[in-house]
Amino acid sequence: MGIPQEAYKAMEDIVGSQYITDDQVIAQAYVGRLGHGKDTGIDLDMNVPPAVIVLPRTTKEVQGILKIAHRYKINYVPASSFWISHCAPKRPDSLLLDLKRMNDLEIDEENMCAICGPGVIFSQLQEEAIKRGMYTTTPGGGSQVSVVANHINWGLSPLNYRNGVPGRRVLGGEWVLPDGELLRIGSMSTTDDPFWGEGPGPDLRGLLRGWIGWFGAMGVVTKLAVKLLPFHDEGLKPVGISPHTTLQFPEKKRIRWYNFVMPTRESLVECMYDIGKAEIAAALTKVPQQWRYIAKAGCREDFWEGWNTDEARNSINNIHICRVMLVGYASEEQLEYEERVLMDIMDSYGAKLGRTRQSDNSWIKNADSATMWMMTGAYTSVQVTVDTVDCGVKGGEGLAREKPAFTPPLMDDYGEPGWFQVSEIGHMGYIEFLQYWDPNPDQENLYKKDEWNYIKVPTLDAEWGMFNAFNIYASPMNLTGKAYGPECRKWFEKVKAEFDPDKLSNDPIPWDVDEYVDKVDWVNKEDYINRDWSKG
Amino acid sequence: MPEEYVKFDLTDMKNFEYDMKRCVRCKGCKWVDHIYMPGATYSTRCPSEKRYLFDSFSAWGRLRLALSLLNGRIEFNDRFVEAIYKCQLCGACDAGCKRNLDLEIGSALESLRIKCVADGFGPMPEHKAIAEKIEKEHNVFGGPADNRDKWAKGIQTDDKAEFVYFVGCYGSYKMQGIPKATANILKATGQSFKIMGSDEYCCGYPLYSTGQIEKAKKVAQHNIDTIAKSGAKTVITACAECYKTLKVDYPKMFNKSTSDMGYQVIHLVEFVADQMEKGTIKFKNNIDMRVTYHDACNLARMSEPWVYWEGKRKLYGITEPTAPRRKGTHGVYHQPRNILKAIPGIDYVDMIRIRENAWCCGAGGGVAEAFPEFAQWSAEERLEEVDEVGAAALITACPRCKDNFSKAINASGDNIKVMDIAEMINEAIK
Repeated sequence: MGIPQEAYKAMEDIVGSQYITDDQVIAQAYVGRLGHGKDTGIDLDMNVPPAVIVLPRTTKEVQGILKIAHRYKINYVPASSFWISHCAPKRPDSLLLDLKRMNDLEIDEENMCAICGPGVIFSQLQEEAIKRGMYTTTPGGGSQVSVVANHINWGLSPLNYRNGVPGRRVLGGEWVLPDGELLRIGSMSTTDDPFWGEGPGPDLRGLLRGWIGWFGAMGVVTKLAVKLLPFHDEGLKPVGISPHTTLQFPEKKRIRWYNFVMPTRESLVECMYDIGKAEIAAALTKVPQQWRYIAKAGCREDFWEGWNTDEARNSINNIHICRVMLVGYASEEQLEYEERVLMDIMDSYGAKLGRTRQSDNSWIKNADSATMWMMTGAYTSVQVTVDTVDCGVKGGEGLAREKPAFTPPLMDDYGEPGWFQVSEIGHMGYIEFLQYWDPNPDQENLYKKDEWNYIKVPTLDAEWGMFNAFNIYASPMNLTGKAYGPECRKWFEKVKAEFDPDKLSNDPIPWDVDEYVDKVDWVNKEDYINRDWSKG
Repeated sequence: MPEEYVKFDLTDMKNFEYDMKRCVRCKGCKWVDHIYMPGATYSTRCPSEKRYLFDSFSAWGRLRLALSLLNGRIEFNDRFVEAIYKCQLCGACDAGCKRNLDLEIGSALESLRIKCVADGFGPMPEHKAIAEKIEKEHNVFGGPADNRDKWAKGIQTDDKAEFVYFVGCYGSYKMQGIPKATANILKATGQSFKIMGSDEYCCGYPLYSTGQIEKAKKVAQHNIDTIAKSGAKTVITACAECYKTLKVDYPKMFNKSTSDMGYQVIHLVEFVADQMEKGTIKFKNNIDMRVTYHDACNLARMSEPWVYWEGKRKLYGITEPTAPRRKGTHGVYHQPRNILKAIPGIDYVDMIRIRENAWCCGAGGGVAEAFPEFAQWSAEERLEEVDEVGAAALITACPRCKDNFSKAINASGDNIKVMDIAEMINEAIK
């Protein structure tokens, strides 16, 4: 059926005929397997091709398109780097706003911020920032991720240890509301300069991102200023030929990695607190064992040759690696001072300093994120606990105990309790619980990976009292919303009803998982969805 | 996943269905390796995606279209065929993908073209016209086949030599300065060589790259037989397209490996770099010029030997025996740069996107013939990069690249000089 011809023509008049199409062959290129969350139920069973794809260039064009969509009641999906499965159309006759042309990037050196369009990705920004002695935090999602989308959603990286979570680095910007009205936030509410996050009246950034973001269900952010942080001024040199490329650290002692083998998991947690208390270091993380084997592997088969060994199996409980990055932001002396403090802390735990290459390809410019799909073909993180780190670790250990019941189809990771780190100089803990599986649909009981992702993990979290940020969108809000008080589902509903009463902006987000689990027969709704959480 | 038997046979798209399905849309095929990301500009590697923007003009989009075709969700139509052929098959996507994943993007796209032709929807009319010329006169220009070795008048060749110089259509008919320079270089090093004369047919790149595999196989078989009859063990060429076609595509067409072909293919730059190490070539002339080098896709990231594979794909996509992967790591990258740096007076500077991340000149994959405006657009973007690094001359190792850059310069009035590396070396040894 598509969208009304008058609407199409009106949009064509806005962007020009070369930037809009309703060709259904082209539309097939936009179907399925989008970024994080791919190969889960919502991705496999709900994604449909868009009816129309439009590529706007400016905020004004986006406004025009959304106003037309509003007038003709057309569901629309804004997408920048397409790195999340919620941003694939899930309704027939949807309009897809492909934002790749909105790729303006301006660095404001004086105010230490970058003004980005949604088409700008992290490695572009990082390079421009480093050229000017600054840097940003590239998320675990990878350098190919949209800077704007990631800042208004949730991006975790060991660099958050020092730089804070991305929501705190959002400054002013332009936000086209679901009906096409332009809202300028932060300093842009009174000037054309987006250098500052606050403006007159309530801080609307919270409305924009909530905790985890809206994934296109609240209009389109077309311009956003994000904070940049000071970096050292020696630069980083790219070396090697693909696939062995990395950023080599300068000879001057301005940036260094340290890999410590800790005697126990407990000491790995404790040392993170101590490093935070000492207010040293630029990045701090645990290294999950799979990642070590991925890093060593030349191909998938190499990985499995290494992973299918007793050494790998035993490494989960016997090898605990703490990876620390120090940066001499101001001078070599700063790094030398921090190194002395770090060594004192690690000595007190009996940690052993291991060898590590003085280069980086995973965090400053994260070029490796797609390798997460290399081992098995499918991957997702089900757990993003944001709490104290020891709380997160205990949760990860608990999930590791439960996971064998879902393995297979999940890959046997020998009880790996997840990737954890501290953020914000130790004030916040963080854990991601990683799942890998073979996505081939012919496998027996493949639905169990969705049961694990969407139902089991959030239920356990709720029962254990853990706050899992991913669950707000990666599980039914009808489950998590009730389990966590005050019920966030109702808050989402109220905001959505106020700004987008016709639910045109990326419907059914953020209730896509709810819609999915309502249709499947493997969810016991009385036990989970309809459970009265007030009774525990 | 259930165990399946697959092979690197491009005539059946099903062999690459796994690769189509497992694309994660990370866009490693689009962006310059993030480690080498130069910033806000020159940040992408795929001309097609940058020029036409819609995902159907990207590697990830084409893989989805191919998968939809396999699954019967779509059929070939004009827009689909256009999306397939508005692509230089420059291999940037393949090398970019293999930075992190083990997917055969390049082969999947080639296989899609073969299917498109087999089903009667491809190639483009311009490609058919060239195929007719090749069939009739064995070259892409339709010039008389007997004129192929006209350039060699007065050049001493040796029928007993173990080196056969495969000249290629552009050298034989359009850019005869390149073979003349090549012959001079070989002579200067004391390397005897022979040529195939009118028995040399077009290498078949214009046929193979546009999906006309049956026609390509005919010329390939002819050239393979001629090389075998000549008794030569080494084929030298100064053309990147011929190089890759003889080295990689011939074995690919016949489900063999490069090592099974009975001959070795080397490019002139590999030969000269080797002679430099042996001290048998001297650059005597000073050439005062700031130059840069353009990595021809077929000599660079796409030139690794082809290894035919068939076997099982099992749970998690594990192959048995382990499938070989050509990642673009061992392309011919260093030799031309070392040569240029060794020429006295030359101030060598690299462009921003180099080696496996290089931006294609725009001519390959049949684009120059079917979509000349797109080919010129791609060349212009590369020439901007030449300007950006302040080079006065752009050196290539592929007559097709030189031709396309020259056309773009003529159209724009730019004053960048374009030279083939054979001509530059010849100037230096005079």
